[in-house]
Amino acid sequence: MAIGRRKRLSKLTDYFYNELHGDLKKLEVQRKELASSVLYVGLVIAFFASLLTYALLFKSTHAHSEADFLPLLAGGGLFFFIKKHMSSSYAYGFKEKIIRPLIKEIDEALQYHKSHHVSQSYFERSRLFRKEIDRYSGNDLVRGEIEGVKLQFSDVHAQYRSRNSKGNSSWHTIFQGLFIVADFNKHFKGRTAVFPDRAEKVFGRLIGSWLQKQNMQREELIKMDDPEFEKHFVVYGSDQIESRYILTHAMMKRLLDYKKRSKVPLYVSFSASQIYLALEHKKDLFEPTLFTSLLDYALIKEYISTLQLAVGIIDELKLNERLWSKE
Amino acid sequence: MTVWIVLGVLAFVLMLMYNTLISHKNQVENIFASVDTVLKKRYDLIPNLVASVQQYMSHEKELLEKITQWRSLAMKPGVSDEQKISLDKQVTGALGSIMVAVENYPDLKANENVMHLQRTLLELEEQISAARRAYNQAVTDYNNIIEMFPTNFMANLMRYSRKAVFETAEHERKTVDVKVLFKS
Repeated sequence: MAIGRRKRLSKLTDYFYNELHGDLKKLEVQRKELASSVLYVGLVIAFFASLLTYALLFKSTHAHSEADFLPLLAGGGLFFFIKKHMSSSYAYGFKEKIIRPLIKEIDEALQYHKSHHVSQSYFERSRLFRKEIDRYSGNDLVRGEIEGVKLQFSDVHAQYRSRNSKGNSSWHTIFQGLFIVADFNKHFKGRTAVFPDRAEKVFGRLIGSWLQKQNMQREELIKMDDPEFEKHFVVYGSDQIESRYILTHAMMKRLLDYKKRSKVPLYVSFSASQIYLALEHKKDLFEPTLFTSLLDYALIKEYISTLQLAVGIIDELKLNERLWSKE
Repeated sequence: MTVWIVLGVLAFVLMLMYNTLISHKNQVENIFASVDTVLKKRYDLIPNLVASVQQYMSHEKELLEKITQWRSLAMKPGVSDEQKISLDKQVTGALGSIMVAVENYPDLKANENVMHLQRTLLELEEQISAARRAYNQAVTDYNNIIEMFPTNFMANLMRYSRKAVFETAEHERKTVDVKVLFKS
């Protein structure tokens, strides 16, 4: 399996260089022009905002307050707004000319919707993140059916708002990264959730496992009989037996491999005949760079491998091997 | 006053220990009940399986007789949990051998009824394996608590003793490749 996957990665890289490199070079020219004009706009805004702040702080006689720094804040906001506006056609070109053909090349059956995302109800149904969501956004939705398994994934950003004693609100990230939903090949009634194991890592096995047991927010703690898996993950579920029916030794090994390959924290849950995977990248994926070269090989590899990892769950977790009861 | 506080704390600690032991014992019993249910489902399949294959399988007569025998032993009322565990091990082994033997009989391999039984058994094996693993974990937790300080004193008084676990067969740790199994 691993060999097959690597082969496909090299095949995709070949495809990228043969078919898309020309477009990428054109985009690189566009990027350089854009980067210098964005820089220019930035400098102009910074100059005027600093001038105004300077005047407010040192040249006026009113009582000074935090509000004197407002021009800097407004300048920053203005800059990001203009930057987004200026780069929209560049980002559009990148997604249409690079990301879309790449997804088609990975699998013909996949559809790409660059401004859609996995719906919030799926995200909530996974029950991986309990915090109430105040703002939910995302983009780059990919969906399709491969070997009878329905799959969809996208970039997702879920946030909540908090207010301090002065009534100022601030936004905090609940989750940002790749969110994947797919059909699961076994029947089950309850819920099982797999989280990165933080308690055991920090506090050691004995205290960590005791702390996990005290976690009232979650369901029953399920101790798994794979030491390597237990080291990286903690499992909660509604049924001791069902969770093990889902997480067979083979499945635990595959999830571990998947986690190692993805190199980011992995959350997995099983609910309502589906598997949900959340890969915490903490950044917006599939976006073109502005101030560094688009032609950088590491960058290209990241785009390809992230896409492939998402589509690859069907093969890697063997979701296409249906048990007779689900035929 | 102090004496009462000390006694109160002591009583509380004893109660906590007692309840922990009881909850562990009950967890083991609850999960064993589920193990028993799936094992029964598999035992229910055996007469059908034996009836379907015995006319073809001339070399495995002994094995088929044995498995029928073990089944009736396991179905008898009043069989202890330990006996059930050891019978399960024998039956799992024998069923595995029968499934391998089926490969040698082209007529059987093509038989729809046998194929269906094979698939049902495979699905049941997955469920049994999950139930066994859950049971083993519950027993391990139970065995730990009755041997660890300070609950071991209380466990001794309550006459709790170690319980046996299911041995995990090596093949369970391997990936079951459904495609290979059903290749005809």
